[in-house]
Amino acid sequence: MKCPPFEYHRATSVDDAVAALVAADDEGKILAGGQSLVPVLALRLARPAALVDVNRVPGLDELAVRDGVLRAGALVRHAALAGQTLHPLAAAAARYIGHAAIRSRGTVAGSLAHADPAAELPAVLRACDGAVHVAGPDGSRRVSADTLFRGALQTDLGDHEVITAVELPRPDAWGFAEFARRHGDFAVVSVAAARFGDRVRVVVGGVAGVPHLVTADAVDPGDVEGVAAAVADDVDPASDLHGSAAYRRALTRELTRRALGDLTGAASPAPVPEPA
Amino acid sequence: MTAAEHRPATGTAVRRKEDARLLTGRGRYVSDLVLPRMRHVAFVRSPIAHARLTEVDASGALEVDGVHAVFTGEHPALAAVALRAQSALPGYVETDQPPLARGKVRFAGEAVAAVVADDRYLAEDGAEAVVVDYDPLEPTVCAWTDPADVTDPVHDEAPDNLLLSRTFRAGDVEAALAAADVVVDRELTTNRHGGNPIECRAGVARYEAADRRLTFWSGTQVPHLVRTQLAELLDLPVGNIRVIAPDVGGGFGVKAVLYPEDVALCLIAIATPGVPLKWVEDRVEHLLAATHARDHRYVLRAGFAADGALLAVRADVWCNTGAYSVYPWTAGIEPLMAGGLLTGPYKLEHYECTVRGVATNTSPSGPYRGVARPSTVFAMEALLDSGARALDMDPIALRRRNLILPADIPYRMPSRLVDDSGAYEACLDRAVEVFDVDRWRAEQARRRDAGEKPVGIGVGIYNELTGLGRAASAGPRMPFRTGHDACTVRVNPDGAVTVFSGVTSQGQGLETTMAQVVADALGVDYDAVDVRIGDTDESLWGFGAFSSRQAVIGGGASHLAGAHVRDKVLELAGALREVDVADLDLRAGQVHVRGQEKPIISLSEVARVAYLQSDRLPEGFEPGLEGTKFYDPIRGAFAAGAQLAAIEFDPATGAVRILDWVCVEDAGTIVHPVIVDGQIAGSIAQGIGGAMYEHLVYDEAGNLSTGTLLDYLMPTSGEIPELRIDHVSVPAANPTGVRGVGEGGTLAPNAVVAGALVDALGVEVDDLPVTPSCVWELLHGGGDR
Amino acid sequence: MRITLTVNGEAHRLDVEPRHTLADALREGLALTGTHLGCEHGVCGACTVLVDGEPVRACLMFAVQAEGCTVATVEGLAGPDGTLHPLQEAFSVCHGLQCGACTPGMLMTAVHLLAVEPTPDRDRIRAEMAGNICRCTGYVGIVDAVESAAATMAGREDR
Repeated sequence: MKCPPFEYHRATSVDDAVAALVAADDEGKILAGGQSLVPVLALRLARPAALVDVNRVPGLDELAVRDGVLRAGALVRHAALAGQTLHPLAAAAARYIGHAAIRSRGTVAGSLAHADPAAELPAVLRACDGAVHVAGPDGSRRVSADTLFRGALQTDLGDHEVITAVELPRPDAWGFAEFARRHGDFAVVSVAAARFGDRVRVVVGGVAGVPHLVTADAVDPGDVEGVAAAVADDVDPASDLHGSAAYRRALTRELTRRALGDLTGAASPAPVPEPA
Repeated sequence: MTAAEHRPATGTAVRRKEDARLLTGRGRYVSDLVLPRMRHVAFVRSPIAHARLTEVDASGALEVDGVHAVFTGEHPALAAVALRAQSALPGYVETDQPPLARGKVRFAGEAVAAVVADDRYLAEDGAEAVVVDYDPLEPTVCAWTDPADVTDPVHDEAPDNLLLSRTFRAGDVEAALAAADVVVDRELTTNRHGGNPIECRAGVARYEAADRRLTFWSGTQVPHLVRTQLAELLDLPVGNIRVIAPDVGGGFGVKAVLYPEDVALCLIAIATPGVPLKWVEDRVEHLLAATHARDHRYVLRAGFAADGALLAVRADVWCNTGAYSVYPWTAGIEPLMAGGLLTGPYKLEHYECTVRGVATNTSPSGPYRGVARPSTVFAMEALLDSGARALDMDPIALRRRNLILPADIPYRMPSRLVDDSGAYEACLDRAVEVFDVDRWRAEQARRRDAGEKPVGIGVGIYNELTGLGRAASAGPRMPFRTGHDACTVRVNPDGAVTVFSGVTSQGQGLETTMAQVVADALGVDYDAVDVRIGDTDESLWGFGAFSSRQAVIGGGASHLAGAHVRDKVLELAGALREVDVADLDLRAGQVHVRGQEKPIISLSEVARVAYLQSDRLPEGFEPGLEGTKFYDPIRGAFAAGAQLAAIEFDPATGAVRILDWVCVEDAGTIVHPVIVDGQIAGSIAQGIGGAMYEHLVYDEAGNLSTGTLLDYLMPTSGEIPELRIDHVSVPAANPTGVRGVGEGGTLAPNAVVAGALVDALGVEVDDLPVTPSCVWELLHGGGDR
Repeated sequence: MRITLTVNGEAHRLDVEPRHTLADALREGLALTGTHLGCEHGVCGACTVLVDGEPVRACLMFAVQAEGCTVATVEGLAGPDGTLHPLQEAFSVCHGLQCGACTPGMLMTAVHLLAVEPTPDRDRIRAEMAGNICRCTGYVGIVDAVESAAATMAGREDR
């Protein structure tokens, strides 16, 4: 399991990174934390001609709130996101990502660019109606969460574009719940819920190629069960090794209930059938 | 330390001899080995489960920088060699396994070609450039498909894919079932999984043509067996082959096999003399092509009397042996173990069990910690749980009703194996006490009343045939009997002791255990003993690590050799000091007249005379001070064990959370308490892995769906609970009194988790593993599954 | 490419290909074979080292990315006189290792854990060590060892 050969370019600036991607034609890849990219290379599932390492690009490690929006530079690591208190939903979700040695290297922007449907941060970005800032040969642009994710491992980003920053609006209330097989695993299903004013955005990860969004009017504690049932009805998951579609739908319902419970303060124990 | 303070090493948690190097990054693993002019091998592996090989085109690979050669199965260096696991069992179909595929591939992951290059990166570049044409055949993945549906058999010699079948029979099952008050039926499958040691397989082979000598550094559990088998396969004298197993990063049975890749590496080394060749298996290769295990189906019927007495068991068992009969153990390894030990620690008169080893287009099955028993214990305990439900009896009480008791010993099991343990009830009693069943039953009721997540109690009781001697290792009727090991104890001229033991270690701490045994048998301090293992040029003989045999058999040989050398020391000391040898004692390296504090001579002085001062050697004494002994326990030492756990199930998500886990085993005399508990804890953890997480899944085309550690889930410290381990210690009838402990822990978790599920929720699980989705489906069922 | 990096306090210059992982560079280039490779896709944790004080999967980082960095591996844990680090000592006493293949990664993960969280309870230890797979011990001895070393190290600092 050794990576195939590639050209290595240590970018000195965002412009330099974009230029290197352009020079690699459509054979270049951005190397940030490497936690998803390097396994793919080691398995020889991809063969990029060039890797453009952005880890030494100055100015990409900003982490601050302005006007109620958390702005995370492209090199902000999961560990930093997990450790900050400015955006509690993002912090809570980031703590579910892998393990210390993954969070120390993996980047927020990298996770979004990789767009794994079972990953935590794409769900959070969508729940917060966030966006990424992207630089490319034609200048920079802002891509909203709703347009960023195109499918499993597919995004709106062009071959020569690089994420420079992530915007995460800070919700008025939030909840996050995840079910994984083991500690630190990718979620089987995760649910991020965020309330902005009188609107609630519930996003389910792991049930489709992209994080699945359901919006609702503000949820009262008494509405939790109904909303959870509605969200579960709205998803259309596939079956795989870790569970059937019906099971994923049931998880969606339960995790939505838990996430909304956190959000509304209405968490209650699940009804439990009597032992036979 | 004075002699008066000298304490036996046995029973003490002495510092492991291995730790100094393994803790500091100075271990000596094959993966670490670098030799001058060494080249690296990468294998091209079939992406298809079953196909004719029409062409292997290596020309592209030979263009890759750094690639020196590409070998295929048809290469003259390899073409004449096949691994053929032999057995004299009636009806066993012998089949060949080529070192590299010849003519056709029989499983996805089978090695088709080997690329030799300057380093592993380049070897993989070369492997990627080899072009292979496959002409697909119909694959068989499941071992219990109707043989009539087999269109393209795995091996032509077995048109129905059946490599082996045997029926165990005792009593009259039909009549006993007819007379039973309650009859229960279960149909169970257990999940294919495997060893996955942290260090995968690894080998370095070097051939010196001038004197036809092959040195093979191998992360193997069985270096002596590898040497004799290689000698046969490579047509070299046994003495010309040296197999060295230095530090090995885990084994668990997976490395007790001589693999086609090993043989290919040695054959290629012979074809390229003077160039050491290194192959280190990566994790993807390990998941694809190292042996798998436990892919079984059990169709069971049991009859009980109204008082809970187990009257009869009938079983039909299918074991998926994969594409090849594993070398040299044969396709019989799992089915014969399953049929021989299915009835476990329970008395049973009427038994009929047909076991089958069925070839499929999947990775070969081989030895893996507990061989078949995790499945059979699950099968047996499931029958007892079903019986208890049908009779409305407490599951633990039902088990007590049927256990083999001390008064029954020696107990002839229906498979005719002779059980010498009888400690099952003692283990169960102690487990019930430590676990505190009443406390958990109360908690169960409390949760039921409070509407909290239900908790269930699971139980598993097992016997583990350890340290099999010549009479007990007869099972697969192979051309060798694995009953004995040898040990040489040498007192060096300075009085320090070097032990050349035939045992091997993949983490079990055998250097430490053997040093303890020799220290006590000889009469020296633990620190004075150095143990050399794993090198066939150093130790005389040892079959290696499997069947929880080494503490029993290798330990027995070490004890006998130590005692033998002690006698020599005392005789020489008595002659030198003119004291009757019968009055002498050797303690802490000093020879004493019994009862006297002051020594008459030191071991180092005796050794100096023996080697350096022949002028002082009394009449009739040969120079030197060493001895070699073999030990064979003839039968073996049954170990007993009982495990109990309290497990919480979340009906909403299916989440399974272990709240408490207790294991009590009879390990006989305990040489190193911490190592013994470590063996038990580690094997329980692997058992829990198999029961809840680990599953090698093939799709219908025979592709492995769980080919990385992102899908093949091994439990971590986040999943394995605190394990409470306790002991009942009944010394076994062998020189050290020990019973094997390497495997017992793996045997119960399947049964315990499944038993807890039915106890908590009233649903019986038939197909392992018990995953959250499995729990949820059992509760809520159907749907759009 | 020529890189310079400091490993266990010693400066090294090394020629590597861009695709060489840090783990391979340590093992093959610097003969520091204590850093083990268990899966080469970032799951098992055997290759965990500290880079500038942070735990890193050395199989998921290219050696060229460690240019100018400070790397700590298992070989640097014991003192120059061979005195074991309290974690190494505790792993031996508590039987936190059997075959030793996962041990270097376990130790480096634990070194980092105790640096950022000097007195974790057993649940925290279990959670934080969960990125490292051990196949031998069942984790009991490992959790015992980290807990025991934490107590030892805390005691030393009190003095």
